[in-house]
Amino acid sequence: MDLVDGVGESSLTPRSFRSFSGYDVKSDVYNRLVESENEAFCNPEFCEQLDIHFNCLPASYCLYVVTKILDFHLSGWYDVWPVITCVMEVEDWASSTGGTSDSEISVQDSNDGEHCHISGDIPKLQYRSIKSKAHWNDELGLAEIVEKKGRMWTTTGIVRGGNICCSLEETLFLAQEGALQLSDDDNLCLSLEEIYKMVGQRKYGGCWESFQVYRHMKSLGYIVGRHVLPWTIKRVKSNPISLEGIPEANLMKNRGQEDAKSMIELLNSLRINNLRLVFDVYPPNSKFKKSSPGNPSYVLCLLSDHPPSNPEIEDLERQCDGLPLKFCHVDHGRVSYFSFDKVELPFLP
Amino acid sequence: MGPRWKRKGAEAKALADPMSKIVSDLRTSLMLSNSQGILSGRSVLLGADAAQTELLSRACFGQPIITAEKDIQWFELSMEEGFYLCYSLRCIKIVGEDKRVKDEQQVWKYMTSKWVAFPVFFKAYSHLRMKNWVVRSGSQYGVDFVAYRHHPSLVHSEYAVLVLSKESGDANGRLRVWSDFHCTLRLCGSVAKTLLAINIDSAGKGVTSPSCLDSYEVEERTVTRWTPEECRENQIVVENRTK
Repeated sequence: MDLVDGVGESSLTPRSFRSFSGYDVKSDVYNRLVESENEAFCNPEFCEQLDIHFNCLPASYCLYVVTKILDFHLSGWYDVWPVITCVMEVEDWASSTGGTSDSEISVQDSNDGEHCHISGDIPKLQYRSIKSKAHWNDELGLAEIVEKKGRMWTTTGIVRGGNICCSLEETLFLAQEGALQLSDDDNLCLSLEEIYKMVGQRKYGGCWESFQVYRHMKSLGYIVGRHVLPWTIKRVKSNPISLEGIPEANLMKNRGQEDAKSMIELLNSLRINNLRLVFDVYPPNSKFKKSSPGNPSYVLCLLSDHPPSNPEIEDLERQCDGLPLKFCHVDHGRVSYFSFDKVELPFLP
Repeated sequence: MGPRWKRKGAEAKALADPMSKIVSDLRTSLMLSNSQGILSGRSVLLGADAAQTELLSRACFGQPIITAEKDIQWFELSMEEGFYLCYSLRCIKIVGEDKRVKDEQQVWKYMTSKWVAFPVFFKAYSHLRMKNWVVRSGSQYGVDFVAYRHHPSLVHSEYAVLVLSKESGDANGRLRVWSDFHCTLRLCGSVAKTLLAINIDSAGKGVTSPSCLDSYEVEERTVTRWTPEECRENQIVVENRTK
């Protein structure tokens, strides 16, 4: 059954989406999620929660969202809820910036300006009773997963000596979802507030803005890893491609330092002025293997105070060694992405 | 984003009437009549006979000046257009305020003194014109140039062009702050044009003579918004859903 015909203006009336072309969207989603046999879906509150979320959506893009929900359940149901919120954000952004593509002819002024929430409308993610557990290793700057729950672990975290470790952004993402319980050295639970503070300290190779990017891409179903950081320890030896062109990396390889701590230091040293290559992004893939992830589809560069100059772009392209580069800018909670593609206008007759 | 032709048959018409031929005919005609342009401020005024008028219009050079004069149609050319006809196509001579014909070097000196960024702007202009793109002022759209695949009566302009230069910051100070960046991108999107940044590297060759231009390096980059939401649809690697 082909669900997607693309997003567009819908002639559907509100609330009619559930019976579009005789197809009950919500029931199909619900049934497929239950079929996946994830115990969380058997929670009687789940159906109610699903209903609430669907009712928040304008009819015009419910089909678009449904496909995403169905895709997401393949990668782990924890991703489902942020998708819905994210899609709503995306549509808000799209309508307030005159379209998401350059082929828009007219400027859409409705919904322009402020992206404001009325306090009653702010969605809350569903509380989960089943959480994975992790312990924050301050020396490594990573969370060591102690108890894994859910199917997202095939695409989250790096493998170090048989254990899974998560970067700060992965940890925060899961903690924000309510899917991870993080504890410190004294086995005390670290609250969301405490994790936010850790991000603010900027000593673990990430920052609030890079977290926003991570959160956004992850919510869309992409598989996101820190640039250069290998998915498994073996990769460092067998696949030097991602480390080429980075002088610090070569130095590290020569010294034989391959542990995670050095990786964090390396990542911090990769900051070049305003610009930072932050993430390697892979398309959604239920068969993703950390042992052989292949090349990422994109490398993301985080920008901060100014758009990149041409020399900066060229320098980063060299470092990416042929992989497509996308630039992202975080502004007031919104992430924008840009491409600066080299072209050559054709010779015309 | 491909070319947006203005009506049915426009594309065929353009194919049948290549811009290179129109410009070549214009060149021949101007050479044969020993045409001279008059330097005036930041413009070059050019008188044209009936045939040349048609060719100038078809090739999209200059703006016609409305006068009562019957035999000569006057055109106002920009500095880039005037210099292109004079230096790149070598089909007009240029006369200064002293009413004497100036050689290329003198015209260059005049133009660079009027406008510091002239060398890089001219390089960008001539770079596109030589590939037979029609290049016009982009000020209506808040950019430096707009580029058309053929005559504007047949096709909408595809590219909104900004000229950027490595030396001494940027020739026009554009795209250096986020507000300008977002503004430009949004505007281009709303008028269905792709933002094209033409980066000129003068490679330290300076601006002493027009021959310096030959060493300038030109790089074209499109600046576009990327939407990972849309991109995903093309990339998903999913297992077979039909169980």
